Amino acid sequence: MQNSRSSGPSISPAAVVVAAVFLLVSVIGINWFLSFVPVVLPEQASAESKSVDELFYILMIIGGVVFFLIQGMLLISVIAFRAPPGDTGDGPTYHGNPLLEIVWTIIPALVIVFLAVVSYNIWTQNSAPKASVNMVDGASIKINVTGARYAWTHTYATERFDPDGAQIIINSGADLHTYIGQNVDLTLQTQDVIHSYWVPAMRVKQDLLPGDPAQGGRPTQLRFTPVRVDGKTYPAEYPIVCAELCGDGHGRMRGTVIVYEDESRFLDQFYEPAIHAILNPPADPILRGEVEIQNYICNSCHILDSLGWTATTGPSLNGIAERAGERVPGQSAEEYIAISIWNSGAFRVPGYDQQMAAFGPDVMETANIMSPEQLYSIVAYLCTQGEHSDCDMENASTSIPAAIQTVFGYEVDITFGLDGDAGAETPDAEAESGDGSA
Amino acid sequence: MATIAVPLGAQAEQQEAEAIRRPALSEYLRWSVDHKIIGVQYGVSSFLFFLIGGAMAMGIRLELWTPELDLMVSGAAYNSLFTIHGTIMIFLFIIPMWAAFGNFVVPLQLGAKDMAFPWLNAFAFWLIPPAAIVVLLGYFVSPAEAGWTSYPPLSTLFSGDGQTLWALGAHLLGISSIMGSINFIVTILNMRPPEMTIWRMPLLCWAVLATSIIAVMATPFLAGALTLLLLDRVAGTTFFDAAGGGDVLLWQNIFWFYSHPAVYIMVLPGMGVLSEVLSIHSRKPVFGYRMVGLSSMGIAFVGFTVWAHHMFTSLQPELRIPFMITTMIIAVPTGIKMFSWLGTIWGGKIRFTSAMLFALGFLSLFVIGGITGVMLAALPFDIHVHDTYFVVSHFHFVLFGGSVFAIYAALYHWFPKVTGRMMNERLGVIHFFFTYFGFLFTFFPMHIVGMLGMPRRVAVYAEGFQAWNQLISLSAFVLGFSTFIVVYNVIKSYYHGPIAGANPWRALTLEWQTTSPPPPTNFVDDPIPFEEPYGYGTEASAAYLDAVDEAFSRGAPNPASGH
Amino acid sequence: MSGERAMTSYLDRREKPKLARPSDADMRLKNNRLGMTIFQASWVMVFLALIVVNWQLRFSYKAWPPAGVAPFDPLLPSAATAALLLSSLLARRGLASLRSGRSSAFLMHWRGAMVLGIAFMSIIVYEFASVSEAAMATQYGLTMRLMTGFHFAHALAILAVMTHVYRKGGRGMYRGDEHDSWAVEGTAKLWYFVTLAWLLFYIVLYWIR
Repeated sequence: MQNSRSSGPSISPAAVVVAAVFLLVSVIGINWFLSFVPVVLPEQASAESKSVDELFYILMIIGGVVFFLIQGMLLISVIAFRAPPGDTGDGPTYHGNPLLEIVWTIIPALVIVFLAVVSYNIWTQNSAPKASVNMVDGASIKINVTGARYAWTHTYATERFDPDGAQIIINSGADLHTYIGQNVDLTLQTQDVIHSYWVPAMRVKQDLLPGDPAQGGRPTQLRFTPVRVDGKTYPAEYPIVCAELCGDGHGRMRGTVIVYEDESRFLDQFYEPAIHAILNPPADPILRGEVEIQNYICNSCHILDSLGWTATTGPSLNGIAERAGERVPGQSAEEYIAISIWNSGAFRVPGYDQQMAAFGPDVMETANIMSPEQLYSIVAYLCTQGEHSDCDMENASTSIPAAIQTVFGYEVDITFGLDGDAGAETPDAEAESGDGSA
Repeated sequence: MATIAVPLGAQAEQQEAEAIRRPALSEYLRWSVDHKIIGVQYGVSSFLFFLIGGAMAMGIRLELWTPELDLMVSGAAYNSLFTIHGTIMIFLFIIPMWAAFGNFVVPLQLGAKDMAFPWLNAFAFWLIPPAAIVVLLGYFVSPAEAGWTSYPPLSTLFSGDGQTLWALGAHLLGISSIMGSINFIVTILNMRPPEMTIWRMPLLCWAVLATSIIAVMATPFLAGALTLLLLDRVAGTTFFDAAGGGDVLLWQNIFWFYSHPAVYIMVLPGMGVLSEVLSIHSRKPVFGYRMVGLSSMGIAFVGFTVWAHHMFTSLQPELRIPFMITTMIIAVPTGIKMFSWLGTIWGGKIRFTSAMLFALGFLSLFVIGGITGVMLAALPFDIHVHDTYFVVSHFHFVLFGGSVFAIYAALYHWFPKVTGRMMNERLGVIHFFFTYFGFLFTFFPMHIVGMLGMPRRVAVYAEGFQAWNQLISLSAFVLGFSTFIVVYNVIKSYYHGPIAGANPWRALTLEWQTTSPPPPTNFVDDPIPFEEPYGYGTEASAAYLDAVDEAFSRGAPNPASGH
Repeated sequence: MSGERAMTSYLDRREKPKLARPSDADMRLKNNRLGMTIFQASWVMVFLALIVVNWQLRFSYKAWPPAGVAPFDPLLPSAATAALLLSSLLARRGLASLRSGRSSAFLMHWRGAMVLGIAFMSIIVYEFASVSEAAMATQYGLTMRLMTGFHFAHALAILAVMTHVYRKGGRGMYRGDEHDSWAVEGTAKLWYFVTLAWLLFYIVLYWIR
């Protein structure tokens, strides 16, 4: 177009041909681009993903026009306007064209307005709070996600209560369980640095921001609604990824969204078994401890071969029972392990920084709350990790509660243990432990 | 490529050496207040940092060859590697590299004898070596591993002493940048010849002016942010510690208020270079000169209103929309530039010099960075690709496809003026093709892995991405190799390149109307600029250039006319 | 294209009288003044950044000052602000005296400016030191110390320059000429900058709740 103005008054037939070819190439090219869209994006596993991908289509079409327009003009210039050999002359003295400049200011501006409106609509539609969220069994429950270096923990505050009247909280570790059509509304909190909760298949992402624990932290929200993906076998799994640099193990801070086909399958395969396992813990404290320890984020930092943990941020737990008794003079192995969990700042293993989160019955972070009974079972379990044990395993049912009482003053209510029906509960325990370690 | 056919005897060599009176190499190692010496000091030191940062990038790509952690001892070692890679490339390569070209070229384009504050100029440069030592020392002591963005609390409560040294180094570099920029603004506003009104100023000067305005207004925010970070780290304050009433988003706000404009600090001078190179090497005036100059200013000002798009996943949801809109607006002035450049080469007589190839490469790659920029501005889509390899790809298209290609274009374009000798054009062309395709195949696939679900800054990734990452790594090695070609070319041409003469490209701007390299006072007499900086194709401009050729005639080969 | 004719026309142009260039000394003064202005515009941004810090951290609390923290008493800082404003005025008068050739009046005003500056800084040191423990446990005290401390460092450095200028002035090193007295003008402008920056901080720290 400028060519006609700069080198002569007429539009040459060649220019028309070039323009036509360019148009054709653009249309074919943009179509070709768009054929890649499904390949370069994950499945559309949420209602939100469909509208986000629509926006992506629009961006690709507009971007494609700009791309082919500019690359096309560039290519034509490079071919048509190269100086002939031996030509030392200058090009035409052409300073510009106000009309053209106005056109290429106004048109992009209009395109921007269009894109802003489309994006705004999709954004308000996707981020609007939904009427009924996290519906489970007729009730809207609270689902918390806790980020801690380098693991995700999901907790479900159920509407059920244990015989003592305490609310039952399901801890499903790194897995988020949901079902098609559930309006998921997650409350995200971090225990240390900024993390970012990203589910690529759902096209959603939200940072977890550190807040003052004394004021309940600084929770953020994340909303999406899983939808059916054709050709997928259910329960379907989608990765959860940490998208904000959080340190050494940032890359392996992952989790899984498990989507069940409908609410009844969600209840049957995840929810009810989990509640059942909590209400009926294995009677043997050691077995119970093996389940309990996997509900916490210990695997994000420690090695423990028996459970397949491989993280190296903290000291290895392999053989802890052989060493615990020698760490602090005058302190029994049971006491040392118990203190190390509830009062994590008390001791430091040489070569490691004090980074471990606090656990206990009254810590701020829901995911880290650990009752004396749970502590008892976890200590009992850890006391078995080693060739031999420094713990008094002969009298474990009294020595460990005694240790907890000595250091923390808690009377451990041993309603479980040594009654003998441990075998009956084992299948549930395994179901839950599978969830925790995935 | 023109070569001198007659073998040179000793006498001819001596004549040749006299023809280009270059400063002794030792002068470059000393304190000097000559803007040309300082320009070269900036340039060579920045390029050395580019090589170091590039070597680190090769390390990153080696680690990412497999999905597991294998090359590095820990994830933290990998984190510190890309932290220092980013810091070096931004603070020690691109920003000072533009100070190099700005220093050498701007006073010459203005017909000035030196910068406005020569001593301050030297001081600003000499802050860089100690700052670099501090940053690199930190890397070897206990590395900063919070990324170049250093988000607290990772960078405050969870990092080692290297982070403190990193912040100190960045502080010094920021101060150096402010001092250099004050110098540029005063030089450009005050020291033009009276004949050169602001609307007759070369576009590189416009771009450097816009860049410097951004730098003086934004860099103090970096100084503020780093002061707080240092206090939190060493004095026990809690500005970023939520438990003490602090706010982690405070850092993000202040940091990005500097660091987003810093992107324009890195790319605007490249756009100035593009206007020069495209016009001169296609022998046509810059299309829409005023709009090109003003759009630099437009980008500079709008650039101050967009910072929070870096916080789309952490900002309160209701604040995200305004920043989406301001971010998209940036596309308008950028588009004006792109179309004006196309209008400049359209209908011209293009010479495919190496400088021109890199300028055209800039055009073709930067447009991709621009398109993905608008995509990233579109909030719902950004939420998906925020902090992923899509973003890594986008900013490398802008900062490598943009800034580095412009740096190469500037190198091939002004090397004759700096050294008095031409670069080897054949090697330049080879360098261009290796760089262009190496770049394209390194960074384009990153869009795809990002969209598919690979976050940035990870040493381990899902196994499904391995094939893509191996393609990226292989291309990155080609890209890394391409750097050796230009290093060889520079060294070889410095000693053996053909004599350039005063004005090898027959350019109208003032830096070419003196000997190459210019004498210590730049011009023998106060030069009078041609009435317009890009008035190619007129009889008057041809006469002006002929008169200049005559005044400086040295029988130099003239590639501009030799093609 | 007829090169011959074009050459002549170019050379004709060349014959035209060149526009006058400013002298080197004039150019230096012009550069110094513009450079100082740009430096002030630039460096005031750091102070604005700290105001942003103060402003954003207020959102961490429900009230400002936070519950249980007594607000700062603005009485002494107001006196300090008045002293600083007066000090700036005296520096200005001193510069004017120097320009009109009254050397001793310059020294007298300059001395007054320094004394008032020291008075200002003494009060600020006292205020800095007397922030309560309760305030220091919150961002209310922390940002106050950050801002006054940061400002104090600048005031101290520039006061040192003023002292240097005073000594040189005492030895009669400045004459009324604009080029010659740039050091005095520049120092005075830096002191105005300190005053302006303090005014911003004073309002934010003591009056905006």
